Amino acid sequence: MRGDSERRGLLLLLLPYVFGIALLIVIPGAITFGLALFEYDLIRSPRFLGLDNFRELWNDEIFRISLRNSLLFILFAVPLRLVGALALALLLHQRFRAVGAYRTAAYLPTVVPDVAYALLWLWIFNPLYGPLNLLLAELGGPTPRWLTDPRDAQTAIVIMSLFQIGEGFLVALATRQALPSELYELSAVEGARPVYVFLRVTLPLMAPTLLLLLFRDTVFSFQANFVPALIVTDGGPPPYATTYLPLFAYQNAFEYLRYGYAAAATLIMFGVTAAIVYVQYRIVRRWRHSFAV
Amino acid sequence: MAGVVFDDVRKDYGGVPALRGLDLEVGDGELLVLVGPSGSGKSTALRIVAGLEEPTAGTIRIGSRDVTRLPPASRDVAMVFQSYALFPHLTVEENVGFGLRARRVPRSETRARVAEAARVVGCEDLLERRPSQLSGGERQRVALARALVREPDVFLLDEPLSNLDAQLRVQTRAELKRLHARLGATMVYVTHDQVEALTMGDRVAVLDGGILQQVGAPQEVYRRPANRFVGRFVGSPAMNVLPAEVEDDLVRAGPFRLPRSALRVRLDGRPIEIGVRPEHVVLGGLDAQAEAVVQIVEVAGTEAFVHLEAAGALLVSRTAPEGGPEVGSLVRIAVDPRHAHVFDAETGAALTDE
Repeated sequence: MRGDSERRGLLLLLLPYVFGIALLIVIPGAITFGLALFEYDLIRSPRFLGLDNFRELWNDEIFRISLRNSLLFILFAVPLRLVGALALALLLHQRFRAVGAYRTAAYLPTVVPDVAYALLWLWIFNPLYGPLNLLLAELGGPTPRWLTDPRDAQTAIVIMSLFQIGEGFLVALATRQALPSELYELSAVEGARPVYVFLRVTLPLMAPTLLLLLFRDTVFSFQANFVPALIVTDGGPPPYATTYLPLFAYQNAFEYLRYGYAAAATLIMFGVTAAIVYVQYRIVRRWRHSFAV
Repeated sequence: MAGVVFDDVRKDYGGVPALRGLDLEVGDGELLVLVGPSGSGKSTALRIVAGLEEPTAGTIRIGSRDVTRLPPASRDVAMVFQSYALFPHLTVEENVGFGLRARRVPRSETRARVAEAARVVGCEDLLERRPSQLSGGERQRVALARALVREPDVFLLDEPLSNLDAQLRVQTRAELKRLHARLGATMVYVTHDQVEALTMGDRVAVLDGGILQQVGAPQEVYRRPANRFVGRFVGSPAMNVLPAEVEDDLVRAGPFRLPRSALRVRLDGRPIEIGVRPEHVVLGGLDAQAEAVVQIVEVAGTEAFVHLEAAGALLVSRTAPEGGPEVGSLVRIAVDPRHAHVFDAETGAALTDE
């Protein structure tokens, strides 16, 4: 039967992905769910604790700080990253000399390995010889203590995340490129000003993609600050200014060997992410409906 | 309302000419059809009037104003695109009122004008719908209403009927013509469809290769084509064009021998071609001049097209659908020399009357 052989072919094509997803996501995810109910340090046998790990997390001051830091990070980083990706896409979708080089430059920070990227920023943020503060001093502006002041350090982690928006930029660029040029020509003939065209034409037509990017970036941002927080600020400055949930889980698992506790923290991170995405979805559902294409 | 003047308008795209010095005047209140094949420059000409393309050289005037360097919004033109360019996320009401809202016309006035424009084109029942809920014909009406609502000096229509099915196209053609008569508006209408051009235009301008080939009333362009290109492009099926030789008092063109005097043109020895419209290739008759083999017969309702092979030449004859010849049969054919067009074989230009 042709249908059967086609289905077999499709399954064969899917197999590497199914295998990869099972090995890297489904199985570790399932183990995390189970592990959260145990005490386990890789040495002794796992000990069943029930919901004790979650009770302990509830009373853990550092966990609460990590959760708050993560939520604050998302609050600032996600909208700024989205606006940045959109602004770059609108700027660079136009044709001008060397636009390809600018597009590449916009995407490049995203493909730099996280560790190398973090080390680069460690140098940029250095209060003594870092180029950022030298430039700010030259311009007569304030020279934040990026690595030692809690507020400045949190800002630094957000700033770092703003340059790794290549994927969002590419998706937004492709969406903008796909909008029919006639709509813009008509807007020009009808006398619509650029701001009006942006608000009434571009933004609504790009809304479905931007919403997708918003959801994706929220999920991504929860985890994105792990390497910067580990390498640039090492969770500090005190008191735990840049200890975010991934770093909290990492420290508990790999430094304190509390795998069950780390798994419970990871599950809460997962739950909070899902809750935020759901709330976003509810808030924008009506808005999206009015922009439905 | 105002007329449009193209004054030696040229347009190059990276050195490739799209318009090569267009001189053309569209009268105030006239419906002028720009017609030509793909790449003839007709859409470029229209877009230059709209301000969507800047000419490489030359000037565009609308009324008494030189608008060559003005942005589209300052030209007081409205455009209907082939794709209709309706905003998919806006309702019909919002689409029609888009330009008024963009120009900050008061809300109550916008509503009234949108309602009136919708009434004129007959889409008043669709105002709450979105484009995805409309048929092709309805979308076309909405695009028209949007053009009407601002009451511009000039309407620019870029192949507005191309996306409609054949029946709807004929119907909408007539509606557009009525609308033009009613509004008395200046319209520049671009099409590649010569039937549309002939039936709609007050005048027709035929373009090819960025050059204006002929401009005139539809019947004039049809009956007296300025050159071989116009002769073949305007009219369907296309004009039969045969290489010809002059022999004393006779002109031999394919299977036909035509008396030289009947052609009524000055023949000075240069190589010529003879063009004959399909309706002037007559089957049978007492004065038949040649024999031809019937290759194909296409019956199209009120008429039939008979494809013939005669003396190595392929010809098409337009006849009545009833009693047509059998495929493969031998028929006698004739041409009335008074209906023959004589073209310069090298330049393609029509040779003038003696």
